[in-house]
Amino acid sequence: MVGSTFISIGLHISFIIIAYFGMPSLKIKEPIEQPIDIVDDTPISSKTSLKLGTTTVKKENEKKIEEVKEKRIRKTIPPPPPAPSKEIIDKKNNELKKQKEINEIAEIIKKKPKLKIEKKKEIPKVVSKPKTLKKQTTPKVVVKPEKVKNKQKENFAKGLLNTLAEAKIKNNDVKKKKANKEDLLKKIKKMAGNSNRQVQETSLNISQTDIDRISNHVNKFFNVSYAASEVKYIIPLKIITNLDGTVQSVTIIEKSKYMKDKFYRAVADAARRAVLDSSPLPLPKGKEKLFRNIEFNFDTSFVMSY
Amino acid sequence: MNKSLYLLCLKFLVLSFGLMTFNVFADDVKININSGQIEPLPVAIADFTDKDGNSNQIGRQISEVISNNLVGSGQFKAIESAAFIAPPTSPSVRPNFTDWSPLGIKALVTGSVKNINNDEIEIEFRLWDVVAETDLIGLRLTVVSNAWRRVAHIISDEIFERLSGDSGYFDTRIVYVSESGPQNNRLKRLAIMDQDGENHQYLTDGSFLVLTPRFSPTSQEITYLAYFKNEPRVYIFNLETGQQELLGSFPGMTFAPRFSPKGDKIIMSLAQKGVTDIYTMNLNNQKVDRLTNSSSIDTSPSYSPDGKKIIFNSDRGGSQQIYIMDSNGKGVKRISFGNGRYATPVWAPKGELIAFTKMYKNKFYIGVMSPDGSGERLLAEGYLVEGPTWAPNGRVLMYFKQDKPVDDGKSTNVNLYKIDITGFRETRIITPSDGSDPAWSPLLPN
Repeated sequence: MVGSTFISIGLHISFIIIAYFGMPSLKIKEPIEQPIDIVDDTPISSKTSLKLGTTTVKKENEKKIEEVKEKRIRKTIPPPPPAPSKEIIDKKNNELKKQKEINEIAEIIKKKPKLKIEKKKEIPKVVSKPKTLKKQTTPKVVVKPEKVKNKQKENFAKGLLNTLAEAKIKNNDVKKKKANKEDLLKKIKKMAGNSNRQVQETSLNISQTDIDRISNHVNKFFNVSYAASEVKYIIPLKIITNLDGTVQSVTIIEKSKYMKDKFYRAVADAARRAVLDSSPLPLPKGKEKLFRNIEFNFDTSFVMSY
Repeated sequence: MNKSLYLLCLKFLVLSFGLMTFNVFADDVKININSGQIEPLPVAIADFTDKDGNSNQIGRQISEVISNNLVGSGQFKAIESAAFIAPPTSPSVRPNFTDWSPLGIKALVTGSVKNINNDEIEIEFRLWDVVAETDLIGLRLTVVSNAWRRVAHIISDEIFERLSGDSGYFDTRIVYVSESGPQNNRLKRLAIMDQDGENHQYLTDGSFLVLTPRFSPTSQEITYLAYFKNEPRVYIFNLETGQQELLGSFPGMTFAPRFSPKGDKIIMSLAQKGVTDIYTMNLNNQKVDRLTNSSSIDTSPSYSPDGKKIIFNSDRGGSQQIYIMDSNGKGVKRISFGNGRYATPVWAPKGELIAFTKMYKNKFYIGVMSPDGSGERLLAEGYLVEGPTWAPNGRVLMYFKQDKPVDDGKSTNVNLYKIDITGFRETRIITPSDGSDPAWSPLLPN
C-alpha cells in the first residue's frame, strides 16, 4: 500500500515535470525548396538576326516610294485560304464518324421485327343498368403511321449517340490535358537539371528565404558590447506576433540564467530590445499564420574576445 | 494492488505519449540570430531633481559626472538634454516612454537628490529600458553631502554593469608620480586623484624622489620606491592615516614593489653585489623569501590574480624579455619571443592577459599578450610610452607617454593616457602638471 503510494506520487511528479518542460521535439520541419519559376524560354543566339542599318537613308526612301507605286499599279492577288488546322480536321472527322454510327444504328432499328398489336374482344353489355350510370368512353388508340414511327426512332437514336459522342470527346479532352501537364512537368524537370529533385507545387510552407529575411532584419537591431563575448550560451527568446508582423510579446525563456549571470542578462536585454525595435517583422505574404510563434536564438559568438 | 499499479503505469505512459506527440507537432518557428552590431548604446541621463521635481546644482553635477563616465568608456552615447521632450521629475514616477523612444534612446537614467539634514543627502536613481518599457535597476544612497561625486561614480558603475554585464571602474583612484620643473632638476611627488582626474591631492612634498607607486588590493595602502637620503628603499603609505613606513631593512637597493593578490606580501627586486633578484616579504611576520637566483637582472615582478604564478622581466637570455614562474620561484619559462625588448609586465585582473612595454627600432609600444605568450597585440605607440596599469575590470589600460624632447632636450611633456583593450579611444588624463608611473586602484570599498 505504502509502496504503491510512493510509486504513484513519483509517476505523477515525473508527469508534471514532463508537462512543464516538454519532451524534445522529434520532428523538425525543414524548409522545402521552391521550384524554379520558368516564365519564358527564350533562346538567345550569338549573332543577332536584325539587319544592320545603312548610311544611305535617301535610297531607302526612294525604294519605299517605288514599292508603294508598284503596289498601286499592280493588282494584288488574294492570298490563298489558310490550310485547315489539325483541330478542324479532327472535328470534321469526328462528325463524319458520328453520322456513320447514327446511320448504322438506324438501319439496325429498321431491320428489327414489327410488334403486332392484337385487338381485344368486345366486353358484353350488362342488361340492368342504374339510371345514374354515366357512359364510359374508352380512350381511342391512335395508330401512328409507319413513317412517323421510324423517324422518331431515328431521332431517339441520334440523341443517344450524341450524348455518347460528347462524353467520349470530353473524356478525350481530359486525357489530353493530363498528358500535356505531364509533358510540361517533364520539361521543367529537364530544365531544372536534376531529375531526382522533388518538384512540388507551391504551398503554404516556410522557406529558408522567409527565415533569412527575418533574421537579416533583426540582425540590424541587435547591438551588444564587447563584454558579450563572455556569454557562452545561446539566448532563446519566445515571440508572439500579430498577422501584420508586429510583435505582441517577447519572453526570455531561460529565467534562471537571466537572474544569475550578469553577462547573460545584459545580452538578453539587448536581444529583447532588438526584437522590439525590429517590429513589424517582414513576414511573407500569405504565411503570416505560420509565424505566429517564433523562437529567436541569439548567438554572440560573432563578438571577438579581447 | 498490482492491478491498480498496473493501471497507474498505463495511464502515465499514455499521457506521456500524448505529450510527446503534442510537442512533436508543436510549430514554433526557430530563427537564429548570428550577427549584430557593436555600437555605443544611446542613453539619456536626466538631471537629478529635488523633492519638488526641479533640477538643482548638485543634481546637474551628478548627471554630468555620470554622463562623462559612461561616454568616456566608449560604450555609450549620451543624448543632449536639450533634446528631451519632457524631462522626468522623479525616479519613482514611471516615465512616458513615447517621449523618449523617438529620440532613439535605449536607456534612461532618472534620479533625485534630497537633503536629509545639514550634512547628509539622499540620492536615488533608476535605470529604465525605454524599448522594453521596464525598469532595470534602482538604488538609494545616503552620504555626506560633499561625497556626491563618489555617489555619481557608484551610480555609473551600476549602470555600466547592468547594461554591459561587465563590472565598472569609475569608483576608483589613480596614484601616480607628478613631475614638474626642468629636466635637469625635476621635482617628483606622489599624487592621487579620481580616475577622471578630479579630487587631486599630493601625498609627498617632493623632497625626495619617488617612483613606481602601487595600490594594495585589499587596503587603503600604497607601496612605492623612494630615494630617501639617496638610498632607494620600498615604503608603504597608508592613505587613511597619511603615515608611511619603511619596508624592511635590506643591505642593497630595493625597487619595483607590488602587493600580492591577498595583500599580505610585497614582491620586489633587490640588487646587491651586482646581481638583481626577486624577493617576497611577508608583511605580517617580515619573513623574506628569495625567488630567483641568477647572474642576470630579474625585476618588475607581478603576481597572477590567483597568486599561483609570477611574471617578471629578465635579461638572462641575453636580452630583456618576459618570463613566468611558479609563486615559489620554480619552473621559470620565457614567454616573449617577438622582435625587440620587453619590460614592465603586469597581469590583468581577470588573468587572461598580460600587459607590457615593448621597445623596438627606437620606438616604444604598449601591448598585451596571453599568459603563454601568444596573441601579442600592440595598442599604443610613441616616442616613449611605458608603465601600463589595469583598470579593475580589465577593459582599460593606463600608461604614461613622453613626447620627443625639444629645445635640445631641455623640455618635454609627460602625460597620463588611457586606452581600451581593443586599441581604440586613447584619451589623455588631465593633471595639474606632468605625470608618470600611474597605478590604478581596485574598486573603492563602500
